[in-house]
Amino acid sequence: MTPPHPAYQLRHIQHYYGDKKVLDIQDLTIENGSITGLIGPNGSGKSTLLKILAFALRPTRGQIFYNGRPEVPFSQTIRSKVTLLTQKPYLLKRTVFENIVYGLKIRRDDNDLTNRVKKALLNVGLDYNRFAARKWHELSGGEAQRVAMAARLILKPEILLLDEPITSVDTKSAKLIRQASLNARDNWGTTLVIASHDVQWLGSISDRQLAIFNGTIFATGMENIITGPFEKTGKKTIVKALDDGQRIRLKAPAQELGSAIIRKQNITIGLEQHPDKGLDNQLSGHIVSLMLENKSGHIMATVAIHDLTLITRLSPDQISRFNLYPGKSVMLGFHSTDVEWI
Amino acid sequence: MDFIVAGFIKAIELLISGDISTWTAVWATLKVSTCSMLMSIGAGLPCGFVLGFFEFKGKKHLRTLVDTLLALPTVFVGLAVYAVISRQGPLGELGLLFTLTGIAIGQTILAFPIVTAITASTIENIDYDLKLTLVSLGAGKRHIIATCLWEVRYGILAAAVTAYGRVLTEVGISMMVGGNIKYHTRTVTTAIALETNKGLFADGIALGLVLITIAFIVNLSLSFLRKQ
Amino acid sequence: MNTKKIFISVISAVFFMVLATSAQAETKSLMMATTTSTDNTGLLEYLIPHFEKETGISLKWTATGTGKALKLGQNCDVDVLLVHAPAAEKTYIEKGYGKDRRQVMYNDFVIIGPENDPAGIKGKTISDALSTIKSKGAMFMSRGDDSGTNKKEKLLWKDARIPLPDKENWYIQTGQGMLATINVAQERKGYTMTDRGTYIKYQSQQGGNAPLKVLVEGDTILLNQYSVLTLDPGNCPTAKYDLALKFSDWMASQNAQTLIKDFKLLGEKLFIPNAK
Repeated sequence: MTPPHPAYQLRHIQHYYGDKKVLDIQDLTIENGSITGLIGPNGSGKSTLLKILAFALRPTRGQIFYNGRPEVPFSQTIRSKVTLLTQKPYLLKRTVFENIVYGLKIRRDDNDLTNRVKKALLNVGLDYNRFAARKWHELSGGEAQRVAMAARLILKPEILLLDEPITSVDTKSAKLIRQASLNARDNWGTTLVIASHDVQWLGSISDRQLAIFNGTIFATGMENIITGPFEKTGKKTIVKALDDGQRIRLKAPAQELGSAIIRKQNITIGLEQHPDKGLDNQLSGHIVSLMLENKSGHIMATVAIHDLTLITRLSPDQISRFNLYPGKSVMLGFHSTDVEWI
Repeated sequence: MDFIVAGFIKAIELLISGDISTWTAVWATLKVSTCSMLMSIGAGLPCGFVLGFFEFKGKKHLRTLVDTLLALPTVFVGLAVYAVISRQGPLGELGLLFTLTGIAIGQTILAFPIVTAITASTIENIDYDLKLTLVSLGAGKRHIIATCLWEVRYGILAAAVTAYGRVLTEVGISMMVGGNIKYHTRTVTTAIALETNKGLFADGIALGLVLITIAFIVNLSLSFLRKQ
Repeated sequence: MNTKKIFISVISAVFFMVLATSAQAETKSLMMATTTSTDNTGLLEYLIPHFEKETGISLKWTATGTGKALKLGQNCDVDVLLVHAPAAEKTYIEKGYGKDRRQVMYNDFVIIGPENDPAGIKGKTISDALSTIKSKGAMFMSRGDDSGTNKKEKLLWKDARIPLPDKENWYIQTGQGMLATINVAQERKGYTMTDRGTYIKYQSQQGGNAPLKVLVEGDTILLNQYSVLTLDPGNCPTAKYDLALKFSDWMASQNAQTLIKDFKLLGEKLFIPNAK
């Protein structure tokens, strides 16, 4: 049964560190039981947003509704339902077991701890007998991250917020963390918000993606971001030069220069030069990966143009028509006017 | 140079033969420095915590003051304590002069800024992620404070060891406040001062070695605690 | 975990023992401030057990410079004094800090210096010797710590009508104890004034072949008078005046005087009893 209200509604949230505005979200709704991916480069405001969602940071301005009710940070009732896994997981200087049961002990819940810890460890692919008695310093980076994850999972939280959970872990740990996150949603209806700059991994786990840049959520979905430096060539055009000699032409912004966004649907794919001369950006590259988008049935193609990665959304029909596979050389095309500046 | 060798032999002799004046001095030293270490931790730990954990007006100045007090000369502390507990002083009634308690008071004052400063900087250095982690695991203020203290337990242990080292080896306070009374307030350090004055350098070296042995045993047992 | 508990209980046990020892009621006990010479020579350790046995009064002492000993009495931190600075003692009584002064014994001071005696003072009177040291600018080590010995030395300069040469570069103030000062004199090949007791100790440490020898001795002004001082109950009502008087009496008693006469350091007599 889904509660009638969304898990989160954020209204006019702004946050400043000193004079610097780091977050400005006019309106954001996160549904119960959804998995939301936050994409954005370092310093874009992802961590700040997660801390605000965790009720561990009071935003400078704005209001948060939790399950339809306005809530303030640090409230005890909320805090026991929401849990955040920080970017650099901090393990207490105790054993793995003690780390995992810490949250339960605070909640004065000490029923059958051994079995619950066993389950929680199993959930992240760690063996109780091998790991429970280990000290905090006897773990690899990936194991520490998974123990931290287990310490959150054992709480069966309503909300689980993960900040860059796979940046410093091995592929096996990344897989296990993904599986544990999905299990949490499926078994307990947990709502997840996950920040990562691994776009593919995020796409494989989340229902929807929010791109966040300079503190603003500018669009939903995985969009292509082209960052500077740019060269100004004329009044109306600027150019991003790639090291291999290819040049991307973009319509200059009305205001100051920021970063450019090219929406997926504006990018066409082909095997050769597009005949349309009006298509003023024609870039050659190769497919890095093809991935099935959750639910929609569309396929996300990631294409590397020298050191730049662009994503385009394709139908299964296009895939078979062009016989696309990872490694295949392709041409991407888009109009210099199809750009949004942030 | 030969009195150093002689001192080494003498040290072993003194300890093995159970020389009563040596052992009473050792015992007095142990009692008084353990006592003052505990008292300085009792007072310095909360102060250091407040100084390191919370933000408040004038905190910087307070830190500077504490850091300055780290350089307190022992004779000065001895003199100040003497002024207070002398019969003519405000606490003269208590008869604390020439007692181990008097020395302990002085040594506590000496060690207090050490414990405060080390605790404060240990607490300040707590990972920001620790607080965030605790909050996100549902900890309230009380839990956060308790867990933070437990997390920095090694730092606090270091503060205790440093404080112990300082009070164990000081001579100014023990001499001024304790009076170096044989069998009563004579500590190992004042005994060294006395033997040196008497020109018995070998005996002085011997007692110095005894002091080092005490320090070694104390540090050993504290590092044993660390392993637990 | 268990060992930790044991450790903590041991520490707290020590803690309470300290509190307990200091809380002990002290019955019939005297606190005395005295000069380092009586303690360093071992005289008190030899004498005091006899006093305690005969009177049932326990006596503790702190050995320090005469200046500080007098100050401790003035602040009522002790009950009785055994010091050797007659002039200062008299003013002390006049100011109302001390009550009874009883001379109990003396020893003497000597001027020592290198065996070859570069300034040539051997056998001279003390005044002549000091004048010679001054005119030749020979190294002279002074305690410079305002102790009884130091006070005596200053008096000698005064008696020889020489202003205290404390700004001269041949006059070195060590600021340390007697033995340390003698050692400085030996290193710098200079002269110094010392009490005979400390010199005997120094001699024995050098194995009977000390580089510094006694060069001037015997003048009456070189005598070092020790007295027991009780504190004026008017200034110090808390001081145990009755017990202090008992100690003073005992020190002047036949028995104590004989004990003092028989006290020897390294085979040599050190103090001459002279209680009246």
